[in-house]
Amino acid sequence: MTTVLAPVAGAAIGLAAVSDLVFSQGMVGPGMAIDPERRSGAAVAPITGTIVKLHPHAYIVVGDDGKGVLVHLGIDTVQLRGEGFALLAAEGDRVLAGQPVVAWDPAAVEAGGRSPVCPVVALDAEDGMVGEVAEGRVGAGDPLFQWA
Amino acid sequence: MAERKVTVTSEVGLHARPAATFVQTAAKAPFDVMIAKVDGPPVNAKSILAVLSLDVEQGDFIVVSAEGEGADELLDQLVEIVSAP
Repeated sequence: MTTVLAPVAGAAIGLAAVSDLVFSQGMVGPGMAIDPERRSGAAVAPITGTIVKLHPHAYIVVGDDGKGVLVHLGIDTVQLRGEGFALLAAEGDRVLAGQPVVAWDPAAVEAGGRSPVCPVVALDAEDGMVGEVAEGRVGAGDPLFQWA
Repeated sequence: MAERKVTVTSEVGLHARPAATFVQTAAKAPFDVMIAKVDGPPVNAKSILAVLSLDVEQGDFIVVSAEGEGADELLDQLVEIVSAP
């Protein structure tokens, strides 16, 4: 069982509420999303493991058991080409759950006309493997869901 | 072993929707399906983790391969996905 932490502070919402169909229809995998507080801060690692992919707007951490979690900072934020994001870790780094990975400002993303909602996805997981989801407000590093 | 070599023209590369569609299509096959960047090691095309980690960008040259009944048809579908604008 893996406890997946909230990468950012905000309101825990279901993936179904995400404006991008790729996430809301579960095409990438099951998980949760966070409607973040509109203030700048650091997005943290959702699990302990290795950062196998690090983009300014999205990253994947893979745990020692091979489970990979995708954190996507906002919707369509690939179009920002890194502007407004600062890397606090490097691809290939080993990180502890809760360790800062990317600094960003959800308010700036929203001001630019994009949703700052952050999908947090259990990659290659079956629908039934994700449970005990958080409800309401979560802080960065608080438990978001369990992955069996 | 059936194989296709193709340049990825999808604007976002093999991320987001193309990646999800690619993996979902590959996952329907009853046989193994692999994807590799040219000169790179092949990875499981049915794994969204593996495909996203491969980090295929627009303009990258990739190789998809499979072996089994219907492999050619499947590879044609996968090529179509990465060739979409």
